[in-house]
Amino acid sequence: MSGSGVSRGLELLRSLPRVSLANLRPNPGAKKREKRRGRGRYGGRKCGRGHKGERQRGNRPRLGFEGGQTPFYLAIPKYGFNEGHSLRRQYQPLSLQRLQYLIDLGRVDPTQPIDLTQLTNARGVTVQPLKRDYGVQLVEEGADIFAAKVNIEVQRASELAIAAIEKNGGTVTTSFYDPRSLEILIKPVVFFLRGKPIPKRMLPPEDLVRYYTDPRNRGYLADPSKVAEARLELAKKYGYVLPDITKDELFKMLSARKDPRQIFFGLAPGWIVNLADKKILKPTDENLLKYYSS
Amino acid sequence: MIRAGAAALRAWSRGRGWAALSTAPPAPPAVLEPRKGLSPEEPPVASPVLRSCSVPVPSPLSPVQAWVGSLRHPQDTLRGLADLHPDVFAVTPRLDILHTVATWQKNFRRISYARVRTRAEVRGGGRKPWRQKGSGRARHGSVRSPLWRGGGIAHGPRGPTSYFYMVPMRVRVLGLKVALSVKLMQDELHVVESLELPSSDPQELLELARARHWGHSVLLVDTNEFPENISAAAEGLKSITLIPALGLNVHSLLKHQTLVLTLDAVAFLEQRLLWHDSRYSPLVPFSLPHRDLPGAA
Repeated sequence: MSGSGVSRGLELLRSLPRVSLANLRPNPGAKKREKRRGRGRYGGRKCGRGHKGERQRGNRPRLGFEGGQTPFYLAIPKYGFNEGHSLRRQYQPLSLQRLQYLIDLGRVDPTQPIDLTQLTNARGVTVQPLKRDYGVQLVEEGADIFAAKVNIEVQRASELAIAAIEKNGGTVTTSFYDPRSLEILIKPVVFFLRGKPIPKRMLPPEDLVRYYTDPRNRGYLADPSKVAEARLELAKKYGYVLPDITKDELFKMLSARKDPRQIFFGLAPGWIVNLADKKILKPTDENLLKYYSS
Repeated sequence: MIRAGAAALRAWSRGRGWAALSTAPPAPPAVLEPRKGLSPEEPPVASPVLRSCSVPVPSPLSPVQAWVGSLRHPQDTLRGLADLHPDVFAVTPRLDILHTVATWQKNFRRISYARVRTRAEVRGGGRKPWRQKGSGRARHGSVRSPLWRGGGIAHGPRGPTSYFYMVPMRVRVLGLKVALSVKLMQDELHVVESLELPSSDPQELLELARARHWGHSVLLVDTNEFPENISAAAEGLKSITLIPALGLNVHSLLKHQTLVLTLDAVAFLEQRLLWHDSRYSPLVPFSLPHRDLPGAA
């Protein structure tokens, strides 16, 4: 018998008349009648306009007018708070707590390199390239409870966040994606359906080169040996033992890095992905190969 | 369909569930032979459940059950049991969601073509009919003002107007689940193995519906294609409708008194409706290729 699994409401239905189109109604209080102006005692007579004057006659001055006194919005001097705001780079924060939450729920797979594509597919972050987002930044919130060994690639990372990840035996890399590459990285299926070849990822602009060549930021353009030294220095600074990842069974995965011109793991610039026929088309012309490998 | 009662279950296991009800001469097809036990003293072990839920049922809930019959004979109603997923067939009876979805179905396609002319569009009326002062009559500027007979309409319909709006996908899915649960609880849901009829006579189909006390309107649902006999029989009939499971909707469910589902249709509906409970929000529209869409790949 299904009596125990069935709620009281459903049991009640068995003794009530048949539910049909004739006895449907919304919940009481869901539909409120709108106030129609000019009808009845409450919407009518002066119709909510007040008594005489500019208010009733609809002749009020513009918003911000203060009767002739210099209005507030003109009295205060200009200052460039928002000057150039549309040219400022923004990075969506990703806390270590959120990352741990996603890994625990199985939305992000820590046995594969974690990329912005993986984070977007898991709906962990929402990045909007058209709103001047240049990617994701790692934030320290949850550094004390973070306990996952991951190979993660973000666009910016704070020092403590890098330390928290490396303490657990993982690796962090910061890399640059220009807006076009970022849009492709976030929504790969939409890009593949366009049928265009994967473009080269552009190198960072002048003011970001210093950031991405610095081993302390784990930049993707930094010298790998200097990055190893920086890992040791960070361990010394924060006082933890740096685990040796070369002896790890997942060392190959943890050391997987993208080429500076590559957008996706396993796909090179210039290739066309055909989703319908499940094929990849690679260029054969010399000039194209020279361009895409430069 | 009377839900699995203990007495009917005993009658089924003895193989005489349907024969006890009537003395119809033509012998209907035999019920499943109960499996014999290992030793002679043990009673024969029979498993009445013909279909169990393919989507796992979470532990505090248990499947609801319905009898599975067939359309081959009017008394062939107790062939076995089907397990139905409680998150589809035993959800909380949100009748207000039924109202929301049924009203949406009725109104979202509506385009009202009513349109009337304003004083600017009515032919004529450019000249002032008489001078402003001195004629003794009321002052007017045009013979087509809304005050005049034959004049324009002041605040009339300026169509075509669209009443299109969308109700969220999950609410529409929940509406289907609520409608199916309501049908099951009010004994108006019947499950059959398949929609195969012995002949394509419409009168026999009506007789079958009357013998089984199905009510004055029946909705028959199968997955893709319907057998020839039933399509031919239901063709001219107004009270019996066939729809594919893709076309199942709240309005049709409430309009018809009885719902008859095949086992394939039950599996299809469970898979499709339960997917929405544990899916991600759409990053791109679902019409684009996805790996985990139940209907596509």
